[in-house]
Amino acid sequence: MSARTDAKSIWAARGAGSSTAYRLATLTPVLVLVAVFTLFPFAFAAVTSTRQMLLTLPDQTPFIGLQNYVDVLRDASTQNAIRNSLVFTLLTVPCVTVLGLAVALLLNQQIRGFGILRALVLLPWAIPLVSAGIIWRLLLHGDFGALNGLLLQLGAVHGYVPWLSSPSTAMYSVVVAHIWREFPLPAILFLAGLQLIPGEVVDASRVDGAGVWARFRNITLPYLKAPLLIVLIYETMISVSVFDLVYVLTGGGPGSSTTLFAWDAYATTFTFLNLGQGAALSFIMAAFLLVLIVAYLRIVRVDEGEA
Amino acid sequence: MASLDELVSSVFDGRVGRREFVRRAVLAGISAPAALAFLEACSQGNQANTGGPVHLQFMVWSYEVQTIQDNIKNFEKNDKNVTVTVQDTSWNTYHDTMATKFTTGAAPDVAYSSDHWLREWVAANWIVPLDKYAPDLASQKSEWAPYALQGMTLDNHVYGLPYYADLVIFIYNDKLIRQAGFSKPPANWEEVATQAKALKDKGISQYPIDIPMKKDDPWTIEIFYSMVYSRGGHLFDQGNNPVFNAAGGEAEQALQWLRDAYTSKILDPAVLESAEPDVVKTMGAGQHAFTVLAKYNLAELNLGQHDQKGNFKMALMPGSSNSTVGFVRFYALSKAAADRKHAQAADQFLQYFGGKTNGQYVVAKRWALDKGLGFAQLPLYDDPEIQKAINAWGNVDLEKQQAKVAAPKEGLTPWWGTWDVYAREQIGSALAGSTSPKQALQNMATKWQSLKH
Repeated sequence: MSARTDAKSIWAARGAGSSTAYRLATLTPVLVLVAVFTLFPFAFAAVTSTRQMLLTLPDQTPFIGLQNYVDVLRDASTQNAIRNSLVFTLLTVPCVTVLGLAVALLLNQQIRGFGILRALVLLPWAIPLVSAGIIWRLLLHGDFGALNGLLLQLGAVHGYVPWLSSPSTAMYSVVVAHIWREFPLPAILFLAGLQLIPGEVVDASRVDGAGVWARFRNITLPYLKAPLLIVLIYETMISVSVFDLVYVLTGGGPGSSTTLFAWDAYATTFTFLNLGQGAALSFIMAAFLLVLIVAYLRIVRVDEGEA
Repeated sequence: MASLDELVSSVFDGRVGRREFVRRAVLAGISAPAALAFLEACSQGNQANTGGPVHLQFMVWSYEVQTIQDNIKNFEKNDKNVTVTVQDTSWNTYHDTMATKFTTGAAPDVAYSSDHWLREWVAANWIVPLDKYAPDLASQKSEWAPYALQGMTLDNHVYGLPYYADLVIFIYNDKLIRQAGFSKPPANWEEVATQAKALKDKGISQYPIDIPMKKDDPWTIEIFYSMVYSRGGHLFDQGNNPVFNAAGGEAEQALQWLRDAYTSKILDPAVLESAEPDVVKTMGAGQHAFTVLAKYNLAELNLGQHDQKGNFKMALMPGSSNSTVGFVRFYALSKAAADRKHAQAADQFLQYFGGKTNGQYVVAKRWALDKGLGFAQLPLYDDPEIQKAINAWGNVDLEKQQAKVAAPKEGLTPWWGTWDVYAREQIGSALAGSTSPKQALQNMATKWQSLKH
């Protein structure tokens, strides 16, 4: 096919693209998919959240306005779950970010064998969350956990520690497991950012006598601003909505000490069979996540503008 | 739609192939997937109506799935008209998984269920009475243990066919208590604490007592009920009003006992992360001497691959009344199966699994012989093969004695399942010291009242 024919085909395609029929034909499937898989469930959940919808009372589903929202926000279990989620988020997001950055800085060194290490570092992230939860449960179990065996042999503890049975250590255990599972993604994002820093800038700063800390503060950190913001917001969203790990590791216990917001929404819906309140909780969480997403999009846009 | 119906008939008559059916349906303005789905739906209905092979979906919790599959294979050998696919999920997540399946239109035809959830599942219209849809199965109820029948009956309708029925029992390691100088098992909870302390002091066991108390393990509540019953107490009155929150009552004593055992470190500090299989493992390894579990675990402990195999015995539940929980797990027929017109096929299938085949309870007997599962079908107690098998790991006479004072769970209402989850959380909080036993019981009573209204 000649270049002239190619150009003709492109023009023909462009002509077709401007017709209403072509636009409708291409847009309709997408709109239908969005309507079926996004708008309908969203609308259904919105309606559900305004009704008394207990599965044990399938024939009594009156409209109750915002009562479900009021009830869940007044409920002590939800308040406890919100508190736990805040603590969890405040502990995990900085740790995941700092650890990810530290690993990225390490992997950015030109050392033989680090290529394999870069691939290996992604392993925890590649493991499904449920599997990660099972691995950590076996590691931490108070009767036969491998970590206890190791600590006992090293003489660090005198007996097996029930990491997941004590309210004070259970939350930290979930936090550690979450950090282990999450840090690889930020590490790879930061590593990508680090590799974009021009070598001559770093060399020039060295010639000018800048130390490690000065180079990190004045060169590395500014170049990592965009991935850093993305990591902070993404990891906050993940921490707020984490569910799988709690599901496998602690089931929200002991007591309610590791009951996080997403777990509370799940339990309300599928354990307590209260679809109305479960939908209300999901909407509250979605609203919070929406704020984060809007902030994320604004930041990314600002960043693009600056570039 | 009339033309589509004609098309469907022509497919079943063999006049039109599936490909041609879809082509004609599309020409008639129906999308290909919709046409295929319609054909599939019609084919199911057709199979059910004409007595052709019907495919049943069977949902179970993950216990000996290979044995279940083998039982299904044996059933299918005898009955060519029904095929069965089994799907399993863990016991701890079974309730929530089933709630999801029932509400999202993925309901199985037949499913394991429990007296825990009977009222909830009936209220949600997920299961149907067997006496209406499979009356021949329900007619066998005269041979079932009364507590099992009670656990499957609601408003005079029988909703299940027994899968197994068993007791929550007290299990001890005879070798370990003899090492500590005791010649007989403890008769009450104070003696349990005394013997446990002696075992701990003599270095025989660091934590002599282990009981599954993991929040998502449904056994927790049945064990707590048993500990209250054995003290002669109740959790609810006959009107289903809570009595467990009575100051100084048996429930408070039981919870305070657990808390004291936890703080004095005779109870394994890992109980709040230990589910039933964890406890069986650590008991079998000789880490602990006393536990409370469903009776079939005694068979596993004495016959399975465990270091302490053969050293375990059952004792009457310690306390003044020795009472305990008798429970039933059963096969339930889903409403979806009835709607799909699969009730007759399910009846045939359940007849093999929970009823009689050639006058024998084939599957219930196999469970009892192979795994030590208890049974609701009382004539099995007279079977010499079963008597011999039980005595190999347990004690038929003691089992009968314990069964005589067993009682079903009190307070079973449509909201009991919800309350149970909350109650387990409160029991865990009291054990961990986040709240006092008295306050935990009060919270449980308040929750009950709020759910009731």
